[in-house]
Amino acid sequence: MDVFRHLRVKRQPDKIVPDSRGLSAEQLAQDSSWPITLRQVNSLPENAGKRIYRALIPPDLLARFGIDPVTWKGPNGDQPVRLRMDPQVGAVYLLVRQAASSSDNFLRLELADNVFNGIDLHLLVIHNPNGPRFDTDYDETGRPTLFGTARRNLAEEERAMQAGLAPAQVRVGLRASELVLRHLEAFLATLGHRAYFLEPLTYASAWVFERRGFAYVRGHKLMGDIHTEFQPGGRLYQALDGSTPFRQREQWRTVRGRAWAIHDGILSVLGQMWNGLRMVKQVGRHAGVETFPDAEY
Amino acid sequence: MMEITAKLLGQTTVVSIAGSVDALTAGQVTRFLSSRVGEGQTHIVADLSQVDFISSAGLRAILIALKESRQQGGDLRLAAAQPRVENILKMAGVTSILQVYLTQDEAVASFGS
Amino acid sequence: MSIRRQTTRAAELESLPRFRETIDAACQLQPGIDEQTRYDLKLAVDEACTNIITHGYAGMNPGSIILALDVDALRVVMTITDFGHAFEPAEAPMPDVQAALDDRPMGGFGLFFIYQTMDEARYETTEDGNCLTLVRRLHPAKEE
Repeated sequence: MDVFRHLRVKRQPDKIVPDSRGLSAEQLAQDSSWPITLRQVNSLPENAGKRIYRALIPPDLLARFGIDPVTWKGPNGDQPVRLRMDPQVGAVYLLVRQAASSSDNFLRLELADNVFNGIDLHLLVIHNPNGPRFDTDYDETGRPTLFGTARRNLAEEERAMQAGLAPAQVRVGLRASELVLRHLEAFLATLGHRAYFLEPLTYASAWVFERRGFAYVRGHKLMGDIHTEFQPGGRLYQALDGSTPFRQREQWRTVRGRAWAIHDGILSVLGQMWNGLRMVKQVGRHAGVETFPDAEY
Repeated sequence: MMEITAKLLGQTTVVSIAGSVDALTAGQVTRFLSSRVGEGQTHIVADLSQVDFISSAGLRAILIALKESRQQGGDLRLAAAQPRVENILKMAGVTSILQVYLTQDEAVASFGS
Repeated sequence: MSIRRQTTRAAELESLPRFRETIDAACQLQPGIDEQTRYDLKLAVDEACTNIITHGYAGMNPGSIILALDVDALRVVMTITDFGHAFEPAEAPMPDVQAALDDRPMGGFGLFFIYQTMDEARYETTEDGNCLTLVRRLHPAKEE
């Protein structure tokens, strides 16, 4: 009986890109659809790497702050863009501030090779450098809170929440995530990658990434359960009992409201924590995930 | 999306299933049928006229109940399967090991009085 | 005219009816698909998704399943993508459809039904995820 009419199977997840120390011009000249790792890019001469990484930042965004998209020079002739690419390390760090003298970076982007030699977006922070600052990143004694995961500055968090920020933000956003992610995707396609991954820092970031077309490697069911339990009568809804400033009843209605409650630990009523979620974006494709339909941010 | 009910007709239990029997709902079917067999109701007619979809999970539920009822000296017979559902049974080759009838009446009658 | 539909859901059993609805919706718009074919499409997808839900995300908080459908007059192409453990069909034995009741294991029909209803089945694990591509030709004679 002919049951297997046509079946092909690829075995265990091979590394997307074979491990290799460096990258030569000859290799770059080979099959242009073969993916390369960040580590391989970093092994190129620094200026060659710079050219490649320049594609990561949207020129429009730089222009908004008077930064030259080719030379990366600021309007005062300074260098508000910092790029770090270590030859031995499969990671790249891009930090952009309004002026070299500014205290904060309004754009922070970190990419890293993952264990399969795919690429993870480790960090993406974009905020308006001219907005008021909420010092949620340091506690009262000046220790870093690590986005409120290691410690919390409750007073600043409360101020931030009242001002309409989401957890882990120190200034209001720039509404530039779509632009930045589009450029990131084009950049990854240049490197030959068909997908990239990230772990969403907060419920609000997960919601943003859903809208940008990400699906879930882990955590889709959790996001669905969160939505269900925040509905009136659900366990999370009931836990919005006003016991802390971050658990007010009306927070069930909005993405930010829910995000603050989750940041405050409300998932413990479900025996869960906000961790372990992992999202994936297939380059050029939108997964259409909406775990919180018709959400109000 | 799946409802299961039973009625007793003499010595025969007619179990009516409505909706889809897939991996989500098959467990409920198994529990329902097993508990009937456990109570000594071993002559079972499963009326599938309202089943619009069945997958391998549903098939498995039927086979489990079939085995259990026969182990208790009884039987499970099917009635009124829609053409697509009947096709599943044929594909899996189970029409040779279990009795399938066009109507509930015929299936009930097959158990004798 | 080609119809494309896509649905992305959590890999949990509750999503199975949603995937069947996606197929029903696409089939409504394509006159060349008869009842049996429509059922076969739903069955193949149901079996594939059940495998992913049961085994693919075992041990993790389940991620997504993406069902994409491409329907035209000649064929239906369905792709089912997930991001969990890669499937090893060699580990799944085919059922013996001729065996007597006592000799049969109770399960094992899932893959079998997929192969019985689809003309092609291709499975690939890549950086994009695991992708099962199923093809059902609608009017085999017309393709010549």
